[in-house]
Amino acid sequence: MYLSILKKDLKRKKTMNCILLLFVILSAMFAASSINNIVAVLTGRDSYFDKAGVKDYFIISRGEKLGEDGELYSILKNSSVVTDVAREECLYVTDSNIRYPDGSKVCEYTNASDINSIDRVALNYFDKDNNVIKSIEKGKIYTNVGFFKEANLSEGDRINVEMDGTVLELEVAGSFKDAPLGSDMMGVKRFLINDDDYKTLLANEKITSNSIGYLYYADTTDIQELEKELADVDGIYFKGDKDLLKTTYFMDLAVAAMILVLSIFLVVISFVVLRFTIGFTIAEEFREIGVMKAIGIKNISIRALYLVKYFGISLIGALIGFVLSKPFGDMLISSVSSNMVLENESRTLMSFICSMAVVVIIMLFGWRCTGKIKKLSPIDAVRNGQTGERFRKRSIMSLSKSRLGTAPFLAANDILSSPRRYSIITIIFTLCMLLVMILSTTSNSMNSAEMVTLLSVKPSDAYVAYSSAQFDILNGRKTEQEAEDEIIQKLKENGMIGDVRIELMALINASLGDRQKKITFQYCSKTNASDYEYTEGSAPQNRYEIALTEPAAKSIGAKIGDKVTLDIGGQREEYLVTALYDSFTQGGECGRLHQDVEIPSQQYAGAYSFQIDFDDDPDEEELNRRIDKLADIFECKAFDSVGFLNDCTGVADTLKDVKNLILIISVIVIIMISVLMERSFISKETGEIALQKAIGIPSWTIILTHTLRFIIVSILSAILAAALSIPFTRISMTPIYQGVFGIKNVPYVMNIAEIFIIIPLAVILATVAGAFFTALYTKTIKAQDTANIE
Amino acid sequence: MEKILEVKDLCKTYIVNKRQNNVLRNVSFHINRGEMVAVMGPSGSGKSTLLYTVSGMDKMTAGDVSFCGRELAKQSENELAKMRLDDMGFIFQQMYMMKNLSVLDNIILPAVKSKKSSESRSQTAQRARELMKKLGIEEIADNDINEVSGGQLQRACIARSMINSPDMIFADEPTGALNRTSSEEVMEQLVGLNEEGTTIMCVTHDSKVAAKCTRVLFIDDGNIKGEFSLDRSTPLRERERNLNNWLMEMGW
Repeated sequence: MYLSILKKDLKRKKTMNCILLLFVILSAMFAASSINNIVAVLTGRDSYFDKAGVKDYFIISRGEKLGEDGELYSILKNSSVVTDVAREECLYVTDSNIRYPDGSKVCEYTNASDINSIDRVALNYFDKDNNVIKSIEKGKIYTNVGFFKEANLSEGDRINVEMDGTVLELEVAGSFKDAPLGSDMMGVKRFLINDDDYKTLLANEKITSNSIGYLYYADTTDIQELEKELADVDGIYFKGDKDLLKTTYFMDLAVAAMILVLSIFLVVISFVVLRFTIGFTIAEEFREIGVMKAIGIKNISIRALYLVKYFGISLIGALIGFVLSKPFGDMLISSVSSNMVLENESRTLMSFICSMAVVVIIMLFGWRCTGKIKKLSPIDAVRNGQTGERFRKRSIMSLSKSRLGTAPFLAANDILSSPRRYSIITIIFTLCMLLVMILSTTSNSMNSAEMVTLLSVKPSDAYVAYSSAQFDILNGRKTEQEAEDEIIQKLKENGMIGDVRIELMALINASLGDRQKKITFQYCSKTNASDYEYTEGSAPQNRYEIALTEPAAKSIGAKIGDKVTLDIGGQREEYLVTALYDSFTQGGECGRLHQDVEIPSQQYAGAYSFQIDFDDDPDEEELNRRIDKLADIFECKAFDSVGFLNDCTGVADTLKDVKNLILIISVIVIIMISVLMERSFISKETGEIALQKAIGIPSWTIILTHTLRFIIVSILSAILAAALSIPFTRISMTPIYQGVFGIKNVPYVMNIAEIFIIIPLAVILATVAGAFFTALYTKTIKAQDTANIE
Repeated sequence: MEKILEVKDLCKTYIVNKRQNNVLRNVSFHINRGEMVAVMGPSGSGKSTLLYTVSGMDKMTAGDVSFCGRELAKQSENELAKMRLDDMGFIFQQMYMMKNLSVLDNIILPAVKSKKSSESRSQTAQRARELMKKLGIEEIADNDINEVSGGQLQRACIARSMINSPDMIFADEPTGALNRTSSEEVMEQLVGLNEEGTTIMCVTHDSKVAAKCTRVLFIDDGNIKGEFSLDRSTPLRERERNLNNWLMEMGW
């Protein structure tokens, strides 16, 4: 008999059962893909480096002879602290060597770049689908993601490699992910080609004598000892340990963490929706439960009947959700993993476990909700679920006293009469909106001049990435004063009067007690240490005072008031820590020196762009004109503060993409929820709709009432979400900034138009569309259906 | 006498599982203004279908139905809705009401929606209270619908059907879900309304109810088999007896 009751139930309540099934599919899909993405993000960077085969130490050399084991390779092979070593041969190129067939440069850049043969690489490089590239057809070329994006290339484009008279005509096969050098922050451009093509280049003697280089990867038991052994080796262009390489991905990781936030939100939304739907469907059954009780069926048997139904629906839904979770999860993670391979190794198993967990959770919800069966009495079968003892006031507003039109009144009264039902929808809509608003504020903040201070620079009118002058300072060919004077002179020649300065970074060994660490210190001779912002303490006042970021202070166990020993130019002196500050620089692990400190150029490890402050305080339009002019004069990139920030962090565009993706996902989720909820409401309210039609209420009033309920809820959600957006941004994003950079005080900048107009409007329109088109279904309910109401 | 409802050769066919079910077959009759006509017949004879079809709630398959001179077949969905709102009143066997509204709000809802009168909402509410007082349910005005008895609720439904002063009330087994006392009270109200001039078409299978009407139509197998006039000046018991005898003659 149970089977036949069950069969009838599935057939007769097709709509509600289908809605429940759809929600289960959504929940399983969200849960399985989200948990996978959470694991992928949390383990992402380490797992990526492991997959690529990156070793403990990394060296780029230049000037060695082709095929010879030079001094560097000998040291590495024979070192007692090196357990394994591998090297990659490459040819160094510049942007002039990579051209379109018409002779124009494919992309202008100043960073280092090299060409590798796929047969001579020591690491794994991955294509856009995260597959290891094992071979490349002759005549084809892969470029790293950075170059591919910057040059706006597409697969099939044709480019030439032109070196010392040898020209390779190649077809772009795609982009590849490069673990050691592929982060936006590294900015290195790399190319992979077929070994035959590579040999064609090697056949040119000029190339082999001028452009050969090697990349070394070594596993070591003692990095400091290895560094000592390498201290006097010539020809090392760059060296660093794995941790240093990893820090270059901190911005990618910060963006990936946003997917983590999204995933958590989606899991919460899916379970809120599920709990609501199950509670709602059970409430629908009261009449039948009452009848079953009236004819003497035991509670446990009735409960089992519904649980069997929910088990069937949830199992089917979870299996479909499991299948859909892969493409959905891939879509989410792909937006942030263009530079990295973010994958969960045990994804299928975990997705399956998550999907089955959804079944278990549904059964728990079902068990809890069916607990109400005990309370329902046979009288519920005849009294619409209300026994005399449990009457509850339902009418909240009074039509006779209200000034609202019929549809707005009915909509508002319905919402007030069913607060639980509409609260849940409000929570879901608010969560969706909050998610987009959080990302909007984060993205907007990363695009605001206010954030520049978190690079620990004093903001300027313009910034020039004049790399040749920067290299001259770093290599000791010029002092910063000379380079700055040269730029000032050039500016004068072009009718622009202003001051120029550069923020330099020096790698200094810092120690406190028995703890020591090489920390990057920022320094600018033309600013005062007091010009910068500090979170605790006071700015360094003399050359023996320094400020540290919290992660840097932690790394050597320092706090304000401690004296830290710094090794500057071979002199070890004590410096008093007077302040702590926040910074994005070097993944948040850095310090600031007083302007009076003199640093030998050998210790320079990098520099930000040249900063220009014009004397005549130009307006925005004039400033933009001048920035364009600066780019022409110095033949390099020139920016305003926001452009400079974007150039340094490299995440603004990705953040915008993630924000847009999440807006689209939220809108789709909201439309689906509106459609499914409204459809379930119609199913429950068929009788009332038929009654309204019978007494002459026009169809459009009914459709308007149904749509208005969702509009009111979405407006309420928009107000709530807007009010909560800044506190929630702080709650959800600050831990990410703090975790990745140690930054506590993030200057969030709200985009008023997005928070108060664009996002709410998108959500309200999505709701209106979902609810309205579903409410049209009420047209199929006829006045005579009044006679068929159960 | 003015014909308020005129039905000619009305047919209604349902197709269920590809099988044609002719519920009404060439039904013709009319109702004059001020009449109270009962439609009687066995279960499945087509009584309710006839009521819903002639009131414009359901579409006819063939034939002509004219209400207050307007042919229902020529009216659009919106015009039919307006007609039901302004010119017709409905009472159902089950006391259907909007669950989230109080009894008073349920009663005034059609009036608030209708543009028939230009009165304010408070005036409408006042009028509804007077109607409720007349029907003896004034005290339940502010109650929820689940706080009142079936008899009270059905009288509230009568008040709702009356709120727009319709030309005609259609009642589908108005006492079907009520006990004897409540049934008698409800019928008293309906008879009272009819005596005040409201035309009523009432589907029932209860001869006690039908005996209070002025005319009875007997429908069987989708067709009107006969009609029986009742004189209200005759004592009720005698009317009931005469009606029962006629129904027996009709084979019921």
